[in-house]
Amino acid sequence: MAQVVYGVWDGVVHDYRQGKAAEGATPPDLKDFEVFDDNNPIRAFVADRGFFVFDEKVNLLDTFWQYLSKAADESCGKCTPCRMGTVLVRDALGAMRRGLDGDLDLDGIAAMSEQMRATSLCGLGQSCGTALVKAIEAFRDEFEAELARKQPARAQHAMSYMTAPCIEACPSKVNVPRYIDYIRDGKPEHSLGVILQKYPMAATCSRVCVRFCEAACRRKMVDEAVGIKILKRYVAEYQTGPHPLVFSKDMIAHVLPEDQRVAVIGAGPAGVSCAYHLLMRGYHVDIFEAQGEAGGMAAIGIPSYRLPKDVLLNEMNAITNLGGRFFFNQRLGTDFSVDDLMKRGYKSVFLALGCQEGTKMGCDNEDTSLVGYESGIGFLLKVHDHVAGIKPHPIDGEVVVVGGGNVAMDCVRSAVRMGAKKVHLVYRRTEADMPADREEVVAAHDEGIEFHVLTNPVSIVSEDGKVVGVKLTKMEQTEVDAKGRRNVRPIPGSEYVMPCSVVIAAIGQQVDTGSVKPEDGVEMSKWNWVVADKESLATSRPGVFAGGDCYLGPSTLIAAMANGLKAARNIDDYLRLGSTRFFPRSRIRQILEKNKLFSNDCIEVPVKNEYRVHHPELSPEVRKTMFGEVEQIISSEDAYKESMRCMRCYRIYSVITEHSIPEGAA
Amino acid sequence: MCNVETLIPVGTEATVGFKINGKAVTAYPNETILAAARRHDFYIPTLCELADIDHTPGTCRVCLVEIQMPGQASTHMVTACNTPVKDGLAVETRTKKVRDMQKLQVELLMADHLQDCATCIRHGACELQDVAQFVGLKENRFFTPARVATREVDRSSPAMVRDMTKCIRCQRCVTVCRNYQEVDALVVTGTGLDTAIGLRHGKNQKDSTCVTCGQCVLVCPTGALAEKDETDRVLDYIYDPEITTVLQFAPAIRVGFGEEFGMAPGTNVEGQIIAASRKLGVDIVLDTNFGADVVIMEEGTELLHRLGERKRPTITSCCPAWINFAEVHYPELLPLLSSTRSPQAVVGAIAKSYLPVKMGLDPKKIRVISIMPCTAKKDEIVRPQLGEDDMPNVDVVLTTREFARLLKREGLDLRTIEPSTFDNPYMSEYSGAGVIFGTTGGVMEAALRTVYKVVNGKELDKIELTQLRGFEGVRSATVDLGGNIGEVKIAMAHGLGETRALMEAIKAGEADFDFIEIMACPGGCVDGGGTLRSKKQYLPYALKRRETMFGIDRAAKVRQSHNNEQVKALYRDFLGSPNSEKAHHLLHTFYTDRKAELELTVKEIWGEIKMSTMVY
Ligand SMILES: Cc1cc2nc3c(=O)[nH]c(=O)nc-3n(C[C@H](O)[C@H](O)[C@H](O)COP(=O)(O)OP(=O)(O)OC[C@H]3O[C@@H](n4cnc5c(N)ncnc54)[C@H](O)[C@@H]3O)c2cc1C
Ligand code: SF4
Ligand code: SF4
Ligand code: SF4
Ligand code: SF4
Ligand code: SF4
Ligand code: FES
Repeated sequence: MAQVVYGVWDGVVHDYRQGKAAEGATPPDLKDFEVFDDNNPIRAFVADRGFFVFDEKVNLLDTFWQYLSKAADESCGKCTPCRMGTVLVRDALGAMRRGLDGDLDLDGIAAMSEQMRATSLCGLGQSCGTALVKAIEAFRDEFEAELARKQPARAQHAMSYMTAPCIEACPSKVNVPRYIDYIRDGKPEHSLGVILQKYPMAATCSRVCVRFCEAACRRKMVDEAVGIKILKRYVAEYQTGPHPLVFSKDMIAHVLPEDQRVAVIGAGPAGVSCAYHLLMRGYHVDIFEAQGEAGGMAAIGIPSYRLPKDVLLNEMNAITNLGGRFFFNQRLGTDFSVDDLMKRGYKSVFLALGCQEGTKMGCDNEDTSLVGYESGIGFLLKVHDHVAGIKPHPIDGEVVVVGGGNVAMDCVRSAVRMGAKKVHLVYRRTEADMPADREEVVAAHDEGIEFHVLTNPVSIVSEDGKVVGVKLTKMEQTEVDAKGRRNVRPIPGSEYVMPCSVVIAAIGQQVDTGSVKPEDGVEMSKWNWVVADKESLATSRPGVFAGGDCYLGPSTLIAAMANGLKAARNIDDYLRLGSTRFFPRSRIRQILEKNKLFSNDCIEVPVKNEYRVHHPELSPEVRKTMFGEVEQIISSEDAYKESMRCMRCYRIYSVITEHSIPEGAA
Repeated sequence: MCNVETLIPVGTEATVGFKINGKAVTAYPNETILAAARRHDFYIPTLCELADIDHTPGTCRVCLVEIQMPGQASTHMVTACNTPVKDGLAVETRTKKVRDMQKLQVELLMADHLQDCATCIRHGACELQDVAQFVGLKENRFFTPARVATREVDRSSPAMVRDMTKCIRCQRCVTVCRNYQEVDALVVTGTGLDTAIGLRHGKNQKDSTCVTCGQCVLVCPTGALAEKDETDRVLDYIYDPEITTVLQFAPAIRVGFGEEFGMAPGTNVEGQIIAASRKLGVDIVLDTNFGADVVIMEEGTELLHRLGERKRPTITSCCPAWINFAEVHYPELLPLLSSTRSPQAVVGAIAKSYLPVKMGLDPKKIRVISIMPCTAKKDEIVRPQLGEDDMPNVDVVLTTREFARLLKREGLDLRTIEPSTFDNPYMSEYSGAGVIFGTTGGVMEAALRTVYKVVNGKELDKIELTQLRGFEGVRSATVDLGGNIGEVKIAMAHGLGETRALMEAIKAGEADFDFIEIMACPGGCVDGGGTLRSKKQYLPYALKRRETMFGIDRAAKVRQSHNNEQVKALYRDFLGSPNSEKAHHLLHTFYTDRKAELELTVKEIWGEIKMSTMVY
């Protein structure tokens, strides 16, 4: 276990050097803190809440210079103390570490750091001076001893990382406060540019993302989370609106030789995002897609009242403009195999097959050939064809949807729009347990869906090959499971039949059967998902990577796109270096996560309440009848207002290591 | 839009009890400490905040106070301008810690501020200087010239200078331009020490979407934004014996100038301005009001033509910032604009054509100097379509502020000058209608007085159209012009935010009007972007100046443009009739589509993005 030699954390002084043991402090139990990467011990760590030194020979002046250098680089420059203070403190420490006199002495540095801490506008300025103030207070003799030497300090290896709660919560690690800031600055195009660094489907994401970031937003401690998604929706107009940003081949810094070809299978968010990042890295990318259009579940699953189809089409232009090629109606398992691709000269393959086949409910008489029986996915596909004018799919009578996730919500809300007389939602647990987005649930209520919770199907009732009803049973709650949810069990004798003409099983999904065959040499899980390594996304077959729903199970657009970037990075490494690399940023995140080092500070002073701006939405009565986009873009006035609510909860973390840290991206 | 009254406090009743410096006071729920402190007469220094435009960005961090939350032993430093009050809060505004931190804050502000005060356009009236004095700043340990050396000074615009070596990043300019004028031309650029204010899409001021209304200059606390100073050029003309200088001053100048010399806001100093101009050595002093009367003759006639042809609406064209706005932001509506030149251009054109005939002058040796409450008028005079044969209508425009500077440079004090009167027999008489041009609704009222006469052959009975004299951002009315015209629907908008709303309505086909008056500055020219600046206030004297104007109109012997004897003589002896060919040549103009649609590439954007967790 890593031994703290001295330090300060949350105001508590730790000093375990001979004869100096600080009173009342117990050595912190730091997990996985010994080395940063292979054989590279961590010598010191600095954060917003304090710092730890693990090696007595660490030079504090240099350590804090490294930390403040990052702060000065990242200072947004809006407020006085941080804009100027970070620079002055950095420069003073910089001179001192070289054995020279700085413009500020130790007291001056302490006073300036205190000024930044106490009076800065945002989280960065407020937090970047704290550790230094405490260090000078508690370990002044260390600093003085270093100063007395009047010699340049030996260079130390370091790496610094800046993040915020919303960034950490986002699977793609989008720099949320940065893009919000660009809106405040009046530069929505730059805001979009920040997002496009991470994935190409910003306009889609801005409409359907499940918003992990907002769930983590610190603004909730004041009033409500910042409307991160509606702001993204606002800037996404610069991707699909009248004057979109232009992607062009000259963005690719180094185009690789013709033989550097990669095949991506599946044109869903994971595949498209991977292709985008590979193209930017100079590869020649072909995307093979079983369907006749790109977008994956985003195109065919997510209903058009949440995501208009032309938005997706627009986004795909990024791929073609960068030189990527789509091959439609090409299905792995039917039209070609992994071996075929390798033979055609692709150096690597990315499987982004999604999870597009519905899982059965497992109740009696669940005959998928019954007229009126649908899987959630299957139903939404029909809805898609109906809306796209490909094939009408009128519904009459009542509809029962089974499930409590977003797919189930999409099914009930679509069924209303398709003209169902009445729509019932059946879910075996309570409404609070539903994994669906809260807003989706509320919208479903608004639109008159009848909820039957703590209810489960027992069998399907049919006549002449047609569904005429479902037999349901009431459920009751039992003990709490590992996830903190109460388990449920049927109440004997509570069964009843609910008549209906359509029953939709929206409870889970798997990879299309027959896509990946044993001879492809890619291991599949018991749920029929692709097995891959968590860090590298490499499958059991060398050169073949996987990501998105086919690896994660039914997940989210943003998680799929994050996988796309991760895979591109690893495929790039694999093709250039023969193996995948170490990524310092991921590593530092891991350390922070394992030790719960993210600040848990509350907001101690009053902050003016400014409630969030809401999407202009149409009234439920109108909404029910239409498939046009329900949520509208907000005005620039509202966007400015909303952007002002972000408190920029940035924090910086630095490690000092024994050896240099190997370079990897992201 | 234009907050002339004090801001209404948040909430309805002052129910929150707390303490400032030990004294128990009350505040409205969600009111800021600063607002409450001001109501209770506790001074807290501020820089970025500007209550009149509801602006509390919290960037300067000067308004520090020390607070103690109920039940807590520790204290916190917070910024008073954006921290709300809480029941039981104890606020201290003058502890040593507060004073020390405020002082350090201002010292940090000065560390990258080019304090060349002696050469600064804002010297003596600068909010930053005031605050430095308040906090007792005595040393300036951190200033390094290298930090400001690379900062942008944009002199591209004929109207304004944007000097980022003096910017304190308060963002007041951004707020006025974005939320009030809704031009949204300004953006925040750079990060860290490079943070500054720039124009959208990285353009310079001249090529940007800025319309040079100058409202940002009115709110800037320092010398960072200012008019382009042309006092030297005026002195060059005045002291050149070869040249005949003709000076005209706008209707609004006389009611918005006395303050600078310690007179009560709104005082009419017309006589003093005339006398001071003569003392300066100006050869001929004219009144832009005369031009306004001529504009009414031309525009009124044009309006009647257009009404006859069922072309509607017709929009006034006397405000150059509005012309810029129309050309850059609404070019599709340009056909609706009257073609009549602005009063200052009209005076210039006549002074270089008619006046030389009457007075035996060489037009080439005449230099027309305009004193205007407006920055956009500086921009206007370089329009190539406003001049004849390489001879611009107007040679130089001084804003009210520069005119004050000019008088001071020449050692003139308005208070000790004996007022005088106009003496030019050709172009200095004016009607009451010409005067009220300077305030919102005035052009409309002036025009209707004359149009009514033309249509009906008799004067309006009730000459003051008080129904037009409201102060809301957009006002509309229906006026019966009688005769073959009948009822006309009119509207007036002041401030470009309101103007934008009106233009959108026109585009959507939702606005049903015959005649529309637009003034780009909230309140009209009396509060133009070239008027005197007030510290920590935005347009504080709007209503006083307006009242004085209406008073001048009331006292005027002649109250309709068409009854101005010198105007009559102008048409009789020189132009013929309104909209005659000669009048058209000299007094009308045209407009061009200057809309800038920008296609940006991701590559360009990525090249500019800083401080993101970059992938590329
Ligand atoms: C109804 C519904 C609603 C949803 N709503 C949301 C939401 O609101 N927010 C959110 O974040 N997420 C939502 N999701 C989840 C989200 O759409 C997925 O997580 C995401 O699309 C997964 O991306 P992917 O690229 O991994 O797979 P997919 O999007 O499923 O794409 C896989 C692609 O591979 C193709 N493919 C499959 N097999 C083969 C083969 N053998 N050969 C060639 N091509 C093949 C498919 O045709 C498809 O185009 C929803 C999903 C559904 C079904
Ligand atoms: S990063 Fe935060 S603390 Fe630093 S200058 Fe910007 S607003 Fe101020
Ligand atoms: S307030 Fe802003 S920076 Fe803080 S968590 Fe929310 S979005 Fe992120
Ligand atoms: S802006 Fe103010 S402080 Fe700065 S140089 Fe000008 S007068 Fe001096
Ligand atoms: S002059 Fe007017 S339009 Fe131009 S930046 Fe200033 S406020 Fe905006
Ligand atoms: S230019 Fe003036 S108003 Fe604008 S941010 Fe700078 S100091 Fe403030
Ligand atoms: S006046 Fe409060 S932060 Fe500037």
